[in-house]
Amino acid sequence: MFGFIIKRLVSMIPILVGVSLITFILIHLVPVEPAEAYLRLSNGVPTEEAIQEVREELGLDKPLYAQYVDWLYKAVQLDFGTSFVTKRPVWDEMMIYIPATVQLTVTAFILMLILSLPIGVFSALYKDKLFDQISRMFSYVGASMPGFWLGFLLIYFFSLQLNLFPTSGKGTLFHLVLPSLTLALAHISTYARLLRTSMLENFNQPFVFYARARGLRERTVIVKHVLKNALLPVITVAGMGFGYMLAGSVIVENVFAWPGIGRFFVSAVFNRDYPVIQCYVLFNTAIFVLVNMVVDIVCAALDPRIR
Amino acid sequence: MNSRKSSNLFSIFAIIMALSMLVMGCSQGDKAKSQNNVTTQDTSHANTMTLSWNKDIGPLNPHMYAPNEWFAQAMVYESLVQYEEGGKIEPALAESWDISKDGKEYTFHLRQGVKFSDGSDFNANIAKKNLDAILANANKHDWLELINQMKSVEAVDDYTLKISFKNPYYPVLQELALIRPVRFLGEAGFPDSGNNTEEIKKPIGTGPWVLSEYKKDEYATFTRNENYWGEKPKLEKVVVKIIPDGETRVLAFEKGELDLIFGTGLISLDSFKSLKESGKYEAKFSEPLSTRVLAVNSNKGATKDLNVRQALQYGLNKQALIDNLFYGFEEKADTLFAPNFPYSNLGLKPMDYDIEKAKQLLDESGWELSDGKQIREKDGKPLELDFAYVSDDNVQKAVAEAMQGEYSKLGIKVNLVGSEYQSHVEKQKNGEFNLIFSETWGAPYDPHSLVATMRHPSHGDYQAQLGLPMKKEIDQKINEVLISTDEKTRQDLYKYILGTLHEQAVYLPISYISNIAVYQKNVSGVTFTPQQYEVPMQDIEIK
Repeated sequence: MFGFIIKRLVSMIPILVGVSLITFILIHLVPVEPAEAYLRLSNGVPTEEAIQEVREELGLDKPLYAQYVDWLYKAVQLDFGTSFVTKRPVWDEMMIYIPATVQLTVTAFILMLILSLPIGVFSALYKDKLFDQISRMFSYVGASMPGFWLGFLLIYFFSLQLNLFPTSGKGTLFHLVLPSLTLALAHISTYARLLRTSMLENFNQPFVFYARARGLRERTVIVKHVLKNALLPVITVAGMGFGYMLAGSVIVENVFAWPGIGRFFVSAVFNRDYPVIQCYVLFNTAIFVLVNMVVDIVCAALDPRIR
Repeated sequence: MNSRKSSNLFSIFAIIMALSMLVMGCSQGDKAKSQNNVTTQDTSHANTMTLSWNKDIGPLNPHMYAPNEWFAQAMVYESLVQYEEGGKIEPALAESWDISKDGKEYTFHLRQGVKFSDGSDFNANIAKKNLDAILANANKHDWLELINQMKSVEAVDDYTLKISFKNPYYPVLQELALIRPVRFLGEAGFPDSGNNTEEIKKPIGTGPWVLSEYKKDEYATFTRNENYWGEKPKLEKVVVKIIPDGETRVLAFEKGELDLIFGTGLISLDSFKSLKESGKYEAKFSEPLSTRVLAVNSNKGATKDLNVRQALQYGLNKQALIDNLFYGFEEKADTLFAPNFPYSNLGLKPMDYDIEKAKQLLDESGWELSDGKQIREKDGKPLELDFAYVSDDNVQKAVAEAMQGEYSKLGIKVNLVGSEYQSHVEKQKNGEFNLIFSETWGAPYDPHSLVATMRHPSHGDYQAQLGLPMKKEIDQKINEVLISTDEKTRQDLYKYILGTLHEQAVYLPISYISNIAVYQKNVSGVTFTPQQYEVPMQDIEIK
């Protein structure tokens, strides 16, 4: 297992370098360069001389490959440069926002697990019964409703009408409820349906028939034989889901004024803040790869055949 | 084996539980902290006002621009003089001033007894230090003619400051009244490196408010400056909550989490209307502060032709558009600058809606509508115009779509070109448009600062005017007006510049932008100032 983890960690290096190179090329293809974007933020009309001066200041006058090598050399030492806009180290800036986003995503992820597991299991057990019908309707609605609209509805009912939660912002546990629920709901419906399908498939497998023939209690059959096998594909998808939630939290952050990294990143894109864009993309890549690794470990732990 | 499997399953759940405990732990920690906040806030709640803004207030560097927010800079820092209604200049940190006969030397007599929020004195030395810091980084301010014209600064004595200029630049006082960059940072705020364009140590100003608590992208709390030289604000505290989304802002306001919404573009006019009509809140609209205007490119395609440009003016029913899109709240604009701006009350004749006249003008130019066709043609080429707007700006998008419909009635095909802000500015700069959205800058910039930029090739206004036969003359007159010393000559020059631009129809003004204020019934004293980016809190009271 240890060797496996080491191997996966080493294989991360070419992925990260590759992604950073692609990001670097892509952001340089976007029209409007940062020197100009920065000066425009500062009001008015930048002259060509002013732009040239800022270019030099930001190191953008060097050839592209030199810029990339410079960046890579520093990034290896975990120095991600200075934000063009705020003039502060990128990593320090990121660390202001990352905890909030991680808190939101992890809470949403846990909510998703807690809710989608029982919903999935019970809709499989009571296939085509009332519970299954309701959960199906719920998942259609959940999957097709845009996040920002769901967010507003939740604020409107639970905050404005029922006065249970604050409308927005970060602070108490109460502040966390609505945004994490908004982030989780779309995913809950997907995973609950996925788990249901996966369980139904397993119900038809011969080993279930034989387990029942062995006279095992139905409960044991369901939990130890069906559910355990059915979980494998769900875990794989849920792992990616965590990554998507982390990267896709920006809409929820916007609606609920949650001070997360997504908002910071979007404004960095608008302002052509290259170092921030690079660092954020790299960070998300690392998270995706790590989560995938954890998923593989969990699957291996659940199913000895994979080991 | 079986038991091992179940223990694996168990350990997964254990990990999940542990993670959730961790999250709960974190947030409970936060909760404890913020509960403390709540209690401290509660003691003075009656005198605390909460408002919201869509962006973080920034590092509050008085000499720098984005990501510093104007209104917050204006709360903490003050200028030498103040811009009042109609362009009148009033004393602020300078009690009085003398201008030399040649208009090149300004001597300011500074107010005595003014203290920075850390207790240090405001005097000619610290004023000079601030101005020198700005001059040392003049390249950062080269969009502002005031700084380009400034030659040297001298502290004559403790309370006398002399500023010398290269030319008799007339808008010196107007530009000294700007929120940035000429405002004053206390000695203890300057960084050790001396270069305060990078960072400042602490936001220390002479203004009525002091930043007392700040959490980036969450909130900022300002406390009344008890050392303030002028009339102290009635409120003790102002809390600024950062809420990026307009709809969320409205819900937070309706729930009573906010006392005031103030500014432009913070909430949609839909929301403004419904809040106003609910009768539960106070809602106000300010005088015109700037102009929502389209630049019409006289140097590209069909709009090279004056007749086509004029047809665009006559062919647009602005009032209907304003009634539909803005519920009639915004005032129809007939000229580039509203007549309440300095030198702008010129009695220019509005080009009012007259669709027959518009058709006639197009016919005269040979753009004819043949039978069975929807679009006018000339020499086999259809009458097509590119209309550039910022794609995520809902107001621009709605106006553009409405105009597309209006102009199709005239037989003009309008292609909407939406792009993100930076690319949009790039289009202005390169003249890649027939029609493009723009805004005037508002007081105290209008009209002189905007007129000044019309001479720069990198600006959309220059591009739009490039096809005018008298462009050279316009630029020459702009050069003259900025250093004119005689009031009468100046008015005449403006009359020529603004009059010509109006007749040549290179601007299509839509409406005047105003600030809105929506506030709870227990709030009083909400007023507007001529500066669009200032939130006047001096007289606000909460009962």
